Amino acid sequence: MKIQPQNKISIVGGHVFDPSQQLDGVMDIFIENDTIVAIGQAPSGFQPVETIDASGKMIFPGFIDTNMNFGSKTSIANETQAASRSGFTTLCSSPDNKPVQDTAASAILLKEKAKQAGFCSVLPIGALTANLEGEQLSNMYALKDAGCIALSQADAAFKDARVIQQCYLYAAGFDITVIITPLDTALAHGGCMHEGSTSTKLGLAGIPTSAETSSLAQHLILCEETGVKMHVSRITSQRALEMIVEAQTNGLPVTADVAIGNLIFTDEDVKGYNSAMHVVPVYRSEQDRLALLAGVNAGQLSICSNHRPTEMAAKMAPFSDSVSGISVLDSFTNVLLDLVHSEQLTLTAAINAVTHGPANAFNLSVGSLIVEGQASLCMVDLTELSHHTLSSLTSKGQNNPWLNEPLPGKVSCTINQGHIVYRA
Amino acid sequence: MSPLDPSQVQLNEEGRLKHFLTTEGLSQALLTEIIDTADSFISTQERSVKTVPLLRGKTVVNLFFENSTRTRSTFELAAKRLSANILNLDIARSATSKGETLMDTLWNLESMYSDMFVVRHADSGAAHFIAQHVTPNVAVINAGDGRHAHPTQAMLDMLTIRREKGQFENLTVAIVGDILHSRVARSQIYALKTLGAAEVRVIGPNTLIPRDIESLGVRAFNNMKQGLKGVDVVIMLRLQKERMQTALLPSEGEFYRLYGLSTEKLAFANSDAIVMHPGPINRGVEIESAVADGPQSVILKQVSNGIPMRMAVMAMAMSGQQLRQEEV
Repeated sequence: MKIQPQNKISIVGGHVFDPSQQLDGVMDIFIENDTIVAIGQAPSGFQPVETIDASGKMIFPGFIDTNMNFGSKTSIANETQAASRSGFTTLCSSPDNKPVQDTAASAILLKEKAKQAGFCSVLPIGALTANLEGEQLSNMYALKDAGCIALSQADAAFKDARVIQQCYLYAAGFDITVIITPLDTALAHGGCMHEGSTSTKLGLAGIPTSAETSSLAQHLILCEETGVKMHVSRITSQRALEMIVEAQTNGLPVTADVAIGNLIFTDEDVKGYNSAMHVVPVYRSEQDRLALLAGVNAGQLSICSNHRPTEMAAKMAPFSDSVSGISVLDSFTNVLLDLVHSEQLTLTAAINAVTHGPANAFNLSVGSLIVEGQASLCMVDLTELSHHTLSSLTSKGQNNPWLNEPLPGKVSCTINQGHIVYRA
Repeated sequence: MSPLDPSQVQLNEEGRLKHFLTTEGLSQALLTEIIDTADSFISTQERSVKTVPLLRGKTVVNLFFENSTRTRSTFELAAKRLSANILNLDIARSATSKGETLMDTLWNLESMYSDMFVVRHADSGAAHFIAQHVTPNVAVINAGDGRHAHPTQAMLDMLTIRREKGQFENLTVAIVGDILHSRVARSQIYALKTLGAAEVRVIGPNTLIPRDIESLGVRAFNNMKQGLKGVDVVIMLRLQKERMQTALLPSEGEFYRLYGLSTEKLAFANSDAIVMHPGPINRGVEIESAVADGPQSVILKQVSNGIPMRMAVMAMAMSGQQLRQEEV
């Protein structure tokens, strides 16, 4: 972030919408340095250096992504810029980067690189085990000390249940949140899509829902035993959601999110061996998709991007041989607003799921537009359309499944910690 | 990345075959035409001069990413009998093992001006992928992709059934054994359903029957006696011996006891039922010798029908491509 002393901004005429405080109406916002100093009436004697006319636009807290990855053939500058153009101000970076984020140095370096790029705050998620190999505990305390907001095993397997238990015991002692994406690799058995009628028709090896739920059951039991604070990231099934809600009802410190793709696509989209639909974790049935949408509407789930950018060549192979993942950040907000537009999500639930929801899960001081709080926000014109093509992408990820289709919403301005990081 | 169904990819604008990737989505008329065409080639196979000039001057490449002597040989023979030039490439032992991607291999082969690729690959959807990415005017014939499809095998089975039974309308057909890993079974099911078979059943232990198989319009049975009752055609599938090493089955002995086609079990089916097997057979694992060599077995007829069927689909796909060339 470039230092701009005495940075004073007025944002006038915008429709401020913040689910965390039920703010929903036209009001002005006044920013001084990195802080919101007033909402509504300007503080006495406030002399803005810049006044932004936000009339006709919605103003949301800056979005938070709880699960994204920078990919191996991209740059932190490109991906954080793509995110800022979608209204994100905070990215939580999954530890399965190259190199794996399992040391304090790698976590500090990542934050530093993001700071130099100047678009988004990047909060590292450290590896739960050394090199994500699932055997040896990582230097958990050092990682936390270096600014990791949580520790995760990403998509890598644990050697056995005892390693999980020891990780959780250790983490609980230092109030470290763990992030898991449950998958029993033996039950997944090398599958590449949801096991169901589509996998049977296509002759592709399927991953049964039980691969997620039986693993989740184990994690929840160890969470109960150790008292570790757990965030279950990228759940895919109705049953997994039910188990998480039940665990919450029983008082376990568990939160969860869903990848935005799982709110849109199902296993049927794999038909025709569409390698764009090769993702980890997999897209499941329509019934699962509808249950996950209901979970977001009920405030039970946050939404993450599961951004996994790669080049097009990586998708040019038979389905199971193609590289998994989709590139999301360029299109995220348009896709989210499309779910609102098509009345699958309420605007309140959609915005809450990318602001207050994740902030609450990780105890972050962002995700709300509160006076004396951090000035991180975005302005979105809901009446305009956005239309991405391969050449208009900011992310280096070409594996974006929403190219060449007009989608609702256009981000016009993003402010991170008081600095205008994007303006259309 | 284009999400086109294989059934759409394999037809040209006139609805004629330009590739042959799967039996799924093809009309009854087209499947019947494939069988009729193959049937007409059977007589040419009995003559002293067996070649016809339909593919004269064309180059067919047998592109086998997975080892197969039998299927490859029948395609080679079929191509030769259509007067084509044939090139056999065992990619399993060459390019891809050196790190070349499938796309690289394709681009290399295209620069040799081939007219047809006969593809076998261990990945489901591989033939479909190749058909979508080859230059126009190259026909792709699927000779087996993963667990997905083996349409020429299924169609030679349809040819055999029609020659034995005359029609499909009143037939009950049972497919027995390892349905889970079988590309042949999937292709047979689509063909039989489209050709109007009265009922298609699959019989096997739950560990070898894929999830939601009923969505293909078949009934699943675990019990041979119930499954074979009133059946006109029994299709046995090959059981890969390596499956025994996994948790799918307890033992060869128990599999044979439950699902091996013995004279005793065959008696549950209709008395004029025919017995089929795509080969190569495992005697004493999935079928008793007395049945395999017995009067109801048409296994060797299936083998003979393999060449005319492959001639038929190669000729039809090439003609569907030529139609396109003339338009251009």
